[in-house]
Amino acid sequence: MSWPILSVTLFLPLAGAVAILAIPSSRARAIRLALMAVTALTLGLTCVVLVAYLAVPSAAASKLSGTANGQALSTIHSPITFQFQEQVNWLQSGTSLSHLHPAFNEGNSAFNQAAPPPINFSYHLGVDGLSVWLMALAALLFLVAAVVLSQREKRLRTFAVLMLLSEVGVLGVLTSLDLILFYFFWEAALIPLYFLMIGWGDRNRGRAALKFIIYTVAGSLFMLLAIFGVYFITGAQTGVYTFDLPTLIAAQSFVHTTQATTFSLFGHSFSLLNPQEWLFLAFALAFAIKVPLVPFHSWLPDAYSSGTTPFLIFFAGIVSKLGAFGLIRYNLTLFPQASHTFQPLMLGLAIASILYGALAALAQTDIKRIVGFASISHLGFVVLGIFALNVDGLNGAIIQMVNHGIVIAALFICVGVVESRFATRTLSQLGGLARPMPVLAGLFLVVTLAGLGMPLLNSFVGEFLILLGAFQSSPVWAVLASLGVILACWYMLRLYQGLTQGELRLPGTEAVSEQLQTVSRRLGRLDVGPVEVVALVPLVALMLVIGVYPAPVIRYGRFSAAQYVQAANRQTATDPALASSRATARSLP
Amino acid sequence: MASTAPGYPLHFVPVGNLLGILPILIVGGGAVMVLLWDLVRPRGQEVWLAGLTGLFLLAALGTAIGQWIANSGPIVVFNGAYANDRFALFADFVVLITALAVVVLSPGYLRRRGLAEGEYYILLLASVAGMLVLDGALNLIVIFLGIELLSIPLYVLAGFARDDQHSQEGAMKYLLLGGFASGFLLYGMALLYGETGHTSLTAIHAFLLRDATAGHIDPMVLAAVGLLAVGLAFKVSAAPFHWWTPDVYQGSPAVVTTFMSVATKVAAFAVFLRLFSATLAPYRAEWTVPIAVVAIISMIYGNVVAVAQTSIKRLLAYSGIAQAGYIMIGVALGRPDGTQASLYYLAAYAFMNTGAFAVVTILSRRGEDCDRYSELAGLARREPVLAGLMSLFMLSLAGFPLTVGFFGKFFLFSAAIHDGQLALAIWGILTSAVSLFYYLRVILKMYAPAADVGAVEEFEVASVSPEGTAMAAPTAVGPAVLVVALAGAGTIVLGIFPAVIYTLLQGISVVHG
Repeated sequence: MSWPILSVTLFLPLAGAVAILAIPSSRARAIRLALMAVTALTLGLTCVVLVAYLAVPSAAASKLSGTANGQALSTIHSPITFQFQEQVNWLQSGTSLSHLHPAFNEGNSAFNQAAPPPINFSYHLGVDGLSVWLMALAALLFLVAAVVLSQREKRLRTFAVLMLLSEVGVLGVLTSLDLILFYFFWEAALIPLYFLMIGWGDRNRGRAALKFIIYTVAGSLFMLLAIFGVYFITGAQTGVYTFDLPTLIAAQSFVHTTQATTFSLFGHSFSLLNPQEWLFLAFALAFAIKVPLVPFHSWLPDAYSSGTTPFLIFFAGIVSKLGAFGLIRYNLTLFPQASHTFQPLMLGLAIASILYGALAALAQTDIKRIVGFASISHLGFVVLGIFALNVDGLNGAIIQMVNHGIVIAALFICVGVVESRFATRTLSQLGGLARPMPVLAGLFLVVTLAGLGMPLLNSFVGEFLILLGAFQSSPVWAVLASLGVILACWYMLRLYQGLTQGELRLPGTEAVSEQLQTVSRRLGRLDVGPVEVVALVPLVALMLVIGVYPAPVIRYGRFSAAQYVQAANRQTATDPALASSRATARSLP
Repeated sequence: MASTAPGYPLHFVPVGNLLGILPILIVGGGAVMVLLWDLVRPRGQEVWLAGLTGLFLLAALGTAIGQWIANSGPIVVFNGAYANDRFALFADFVVLITALAVVVLSPGYLRRRGLAEGEYYILLLASVAGMLVLDGALNLIVIFLGIELLSIPLYVLAGFARDDQHSQEGAMKYLLLGGFASGFLLYGMALLYGETGHTSLTAIHAFLLRDATAGHIDPMVLAAVGLLAVGLAFKVSAAPFHWWTPDVYQGSPAVVTTFMSVATKVAAFAVFLRLFSATLAPYRAEWTVPIAVVAIISMIYGNVVAVAQTSIKRLLAYSGIAQAGYIMIGVALGRPDGTQASLYYLAAYAFMNTGAFAVVTILSRRGEDCDRYSELAGLARREPVLAGLMSLFMLSLAGFPLTVGFFGKFFLFSAAIHDGQLALAIWGILTSAVSLFYYLRVILKMYAPAADVGAVEEFEVASVSPEGTAMAAPTAVGPAVLVVALAGAGTIVLGIFPAVIYTLLQGISVVHG
C-alpha cells in the first residue's frame, strides 16, 4: 500500500469535524447528513483496511506454520506482524548531550553521571489482526451513533464535532505503534469525551464526567510512569532507547528478567516485585479502569446512566473495549513473564467482574444501570479469555470484544427509545410495551438473546471459546464463569420481560397513561421510528451472521490470537524453537 | 573581584561587556525613557506608554534572539559576574515574552479598573530588568542585586490598586515576607562567602569541588545551602514557603498577578537551577533529598488546597504552588535532563498560565477583578471563544496531551524516573490526578448544566448594569483577546510539536564557571 491509508482513516474524522464547523449551526439537517457522510466514509476506509489485511495474513499464516523448521528465530523475535506501517519522526534527540554540557561534564566524575539517554518517539501506525476488527467496529458504531443522533439534539454541531474528535482518538489508540503516540491518543480521546459528558445527558452528568475522568487519568498516569520504566530498562539492557512497540517486543527485554532488580527510593532500594511485575501492574491498572474490572468500576454506572443514547453507543461500544485491547496489545506482549505471574490475579478480577456485574444488574431498577452492570459482567468474560493465555481463550476474547460492542450498542438504542418515549428509566414504572411497540419488542428480543449468549447468536460463539480457553487453563475458572452465563439469562430476561411483557404499565397517573395510550394508538408513534430501525437492523443482522456462520471470524481471529499467545509464552520454554512449535501447533486446529 | 582582575581597571568597561548585557541595558534604559516620557506626555494617553514599553521589550527580545543565533558558546562578561549563555537567553525569552503579553493586556484592564498610571510601566520594566539580571547572574552579589531589583517594583505593583484593601494587604504581606526571604538569602550568601572566600559562583564551585573531592563536607556550607534554598523557595512560591502567595495573587491587580505568577517564577527558577545543579553540584548528595521533599510538599499542598478554593485567583495561586513543585523536580534531580525538563516546563507554564490569567483579566470589570468562582458560570454561553480557550489552559495545566503541559510533565517525570527518583515521579502523578478535580471543575462551571442558573442570572444582571458595560471598551478587549488566542495557539502547537522547544534546549549550555 503506497498511500498512507491508516493516516487517511485516522484524520478523516478530524477533517470532517473541521468541515462541520464551517456549516452554520442553524442548518441541523446539513450537519447531521455531513456527520453521517464522514462516519460512513470512515467505515468504508476501515473496511478497506480490514479486507486488505485479511488478504495478507493468510500468507503469513502459512509462513507461521513453517516456524518449527527453519524460521523459528525470526518469528520468535517479533511474534506479532503489523501491516500498513507508517513511521515519521516526531521527536528525536539523536546526539548525546554530554558534550553540550560543559558545566555538568567538567571536573570530577564523581559528581557527574552519564548524559541522559536521548528521547525518541515517532508517529508510527500499523494494524494487526486484533486492531483491524476493532477499527471496523469503532467506525460502525460511530456511524450508528450518527444515525441515531436526533436532528433536534441541542447544540447539534458541537456534539457532532466532539463525536468526530472522539473517533480520531479511538482510531488513534487502535492504530498507534509507539508507546508515546498511544498514550497521547489514549488521553487526548478523553477531552472530547469529557465535553460530551458534561454537555449532554441528565442532571447527574457533571459529577459522572468528573468521576470518569479522574478514575481514568489516575490510572493512565501510572501507565505513563510504566512507559518510562519500559523505555529506560529496555534501553539499559539493550542500548536501544525506543518507545517503538515492535522494536520493544522484539527486544524481549522482559522475557528473561527474573531477578528482582530494585528501584531506589531516596537511596533505599526495595525489591518487592521485579520491575516487570511493577510495570505490568501499572499498565493493567490503567486498562482495568477503562474496561472496567470490578474494584475499579464505580465510574461506570454513573456514566452510563447519565449519558445520551448516541454518546453511549460509541462510549459503551468501543471506548470500553480499548481497555481490553490494551491488555492484549501491551501487557501480553511487553511483559510475558508477569502475565503468567499475575494470571490468577487477573482471572480472579475477571470472575469477580462477571459475578458482581451480574448480581448488581439484578438489583438495579434503572434500565440503563442494568445495561451498565451487564456490560461489566460481559467484559469480565473478555478479560477471562485474555488471561486464559491460550489460543482458544484469546480468540474468544477478540470475537467477544466485537460482539459486545454490537450488543451493547443495540441494547442502549432499545433502552434509549424507551427512555425517550416515556421519560423514565425506572423498570417498575414500565411494562407490557410489546403491545404498543411491537417492532421494538421484536428487535429487543434478538438483542436480549444475543446478550445472554443464546446459540446461533454472536455472543454464544465468543463465550463458548472463552469458556473453552478458561477450562484449559483451569476448570475452576470455567465453572465460576458459567455461573455468570446463568445469571445473564436472569438479568437480561428480567429487563426484557419487565419492559415488554405483562400488563401495559406506563409512568404517571392512571389518567395520564390512559391518555398516552389512546393518543399513541391513534398515531402509532410510540414504536421505534425509521431512524432507530435503520440503526438497529445492521447490528441485529451482524448478530445473526456471526452467530450462524462464525467460521471466518474465528479463523482470522485465531491467527492473531496465536501470535499474541506466542508473544505471551516467550519465557515459558527454555528452547525458543520448542516454544514456537508448541504455540504454532496449538494455533492450528 | 572585578577591580583586581588584571587588564581591566574598574573605570574602564570594555564594549564587549556591555554587549553581553545588552537586553538588560535596553530594558533598563527603557524604564528611564518611559519615566521621562511620562513626565512630558499629555494626560490620558496611557496607551502610548504601553506602546513604548512594548517596543523596548520587543527590542530586548530581538537582541536576545540575535545573541542566541550569533553565539555558539557562552559569553562571560564583567570578569565572570554575568554569563550571557544560552541558559540565560532561554530564560530571557520566557520572561520577555510574558512581559510583552502583560503589557498588551494592561492598558484596557487598567482603564477599566481606573488604575491607569504611567508609573505602572516603569515599575514593570524595572522588574523585568531585575529578572534578566537574575537569568545570567554568576556572582552572589549580582544575584542579590537581581532579586531586589525584581522584588521592589513588584511590592509596589502588588499594591497598585490603592483604593482596594485586598491589594494593600497583599502588598504589605509581600513586602514583609519578601524582605524576610531576602534576609535568608543574604545570610546564606554571607555564610557561603565566609566559608569559601568568594562571591563568584565559578570560584565557589571550584572550592566546593576540591572540598568534596577530598571527602570533606562542610557544615557551614550546608547551612548556607539551606538558607539559599529557603530564600529561593520563597521566590518561586514553593510550599512550605508559600504563605504569601494566595493573598498576594488574590489581592494584586490581575495583570500584576499574571506577571508575578509567571515571570518571577521563571527568573527565580533560573537562579535556583544555576545555583543548585551547577554551582552547588559537588554537594548534590546533601541537598537533593531536602529539595525533593520541598517539591513533594509543594505538589501535595498546592493541589490539595486548590480543591477547596472558591476564588479563581486563589485557585490559580495554589495551582501555581503545585506547579512550582513540579518544576522543582528538575531542580532536585540536579542533572542536565532535570534542568532541561524544568526549563521546558517553565516555557510551557508561561503559555498556559499567562493564558489563564489573561482570561481572568479580560473578565474583570470596573472596580474589582473577576474572582468569584460563580462568575465563570455559563461563560460558555456568553463568551464561547474565551471559555474554550480557558478550558484549553486548564487542560494544559492538568497535563493533558495535545497541550504543552503534557510534554512539560512528560520530560520532568521521564527525567525523574531515569535518575531513579521514583518517589518524585509517583507523587507527581498522584497529585496530578488530584489536580484534575479542580481544573476540570473550572471547565464544568463554565459549561455548567441548568442547575446553576441562579448564579448565572445573578452575574448577567451585574454585567449588563450600566457601569459594567460602559467600561468594557472594545479597544481594550481586542488586543487582550489576541494575547489569549496566541497563548492558546502556543499551547496547542507546542503540545503537538514538542520538538520546537526541546531542540532549543538540546543546545543549552550552563555556565557556572
